[in-house]
Amino acid sequence: MWQMLKTQSNVAAVYSTATVLAFGAAMGLLLTYTPTETTMGPVQKIFYLHLPVAINTFVSCLLVFIASIGYLASQKTWWDDLAAAAAKTAVQLCAVVLLTGMIWGRGAWGQWWTWSPRLTFSLALFLLYVVYLVVRSSIESRRQRAVIAAVYAIIAFLDVPLVWLSARMMPDIHPGSIQLAPAMKLTLGVWFVPVTMLSLGLTIGRFSLIRRSSDATHVKQSPAPASNSAASRFQIAGGVL
Amino acid sequence: MTTSLRQILTLMAKDLRVEARTRQTLGLVTVLGILIVVVLGLGLGAEAAATRGFGATAVLWVAYLFSGVLCFEKTMAVERADGAMAALMVAPIDRGNIYLAKLLSNLILMAGIAVITPCGVLFFAFDLSIAPGTFVAVMSLAVIGFAAVGTLFAAVVSSTRLQGGLLAMMIFPVTLPLVIASMQLLLHRFRDGQSIGGTGLGVLMAFDAMFLTLSWAVFEWVLEP
Repeated sequence: MWQMLKTQSNVAAVYSTATVLAFGAAMGLLLTYTPTETTMGPVQKIFYLHLPVAINTFVSCLLVFIASIGYLASQKTWWDDLAAAAAKTAVQLCAVVLLTGMIWGRGAWGQWWTWSPRLTFSLALFLLYVVYLVVRSSIESRRQRAVIAAVYAIIAFLDVPLVWLSARMMPDIHPGSIQLAPAMKLTLGVWFVPVTMLSLGLTIGRFSLIRRSSDATHVKQSPAPASNSAASRFQIAGGVL
Repeated sequence: MTTSLRQILTLMAKDLRVEARTRQTLGLVTVLGILIVVVLGLGLGAEAAATRGFGATAVLWVAYLFSGVLCFEKTMAVERADGAMAALMVAPIDRGNIYLAKLLSNLILMAGIAVITPCGVLFFAFDLSIAPGTFVAVMSLAVIGFAAVGTLFAAVVSSTRLQGGLLAMMIFPVTLPLVIASMQLLLHRFRDGQSIGGTGLGVLMAFDAMFLTLSWAVFEWVLEP
């Protein structure tokens, strides 16, 4: 057991170092190689972080959805643990999407916030998954929590396209599409690597932590083996006598 | 089919009979809705008139949302009293039918809450005469979707014995598409003077169909004695 934990810890350290190095390399490329966009200026460079984080947010939400269906279909608790881990990652990444979007909006349009479809959509997505985490933390019974969270997650995920459709009815100031120079496309592609590594690392790390915590709780709540119980009864009886 | 319909109508009649005898829900939620409209009207003051009445739709939505949540909570709480839910669950009734009966009861009570609307129209100088039919159609479709989700989550929250704002917290983000779409359609019609056509209402109907089907399908997972 100790050996396994040590191996896991080593893998986590190597993975974390690789992620930090990948971020460093992507940042170096962004600052030295990528051209500055002519209309918006340097603030446009936040886009190289914004888009990969947004895509990874959707992937995390999809993972929550799949894990929730997996739990309802199989009733295996590890699906629920995976959903919880992915939801926390989704909320964190979505917060980054909102913050980077606001900074970009301030630089490009002079406003921190505007009720444009994409910003409204990101905010709604963030709220849906924050509520998912609040619901989880509000229910004590493990089985009940897993079922209710799974049902909520399925509805929340299927709600996402509806939010997008309805938000598109609102007036938009975003450009329809962005034309990127080859150097910009390369930078964007490179930025997907560290962001995806971070997203995966957060989910997997948290998942293994929740699994260990669940196992520990399970061991605590399990009845003691018959021989031990008998031994402890003798000890108690001895103590009383 | 006939059996299902009879079961749904029996359960719905039971809910409405309980409400008629106790008068616990409708009076409470209507007064709450009117208070919300009045407080927001007082808060906005002269600004309310400056919005040329279009603020009324937003204020009415706020009133409907909070009154609706309280309504869903109360109608489900009735089932929790004296173990009525446990009895209902052992009865040979499909749980989907229980959901539909609860939804119909909630919709009838929500129709009662519609008396809030004249308050909003009056206090916010909202010219409803431009297209009263459009207003009724849009709000009715939006409220159906809202009630579909609300009925499901009310069952969820009541089964956990949790109180407070959890139900509102669960319902509001999920119903955002309905709020956004209905608000935009009303703005198109009343502010911009454009016809919303069948497409706008079609979007709301599609949302309703999805919320209804989904809520009906997962209801049996969340129902506990």
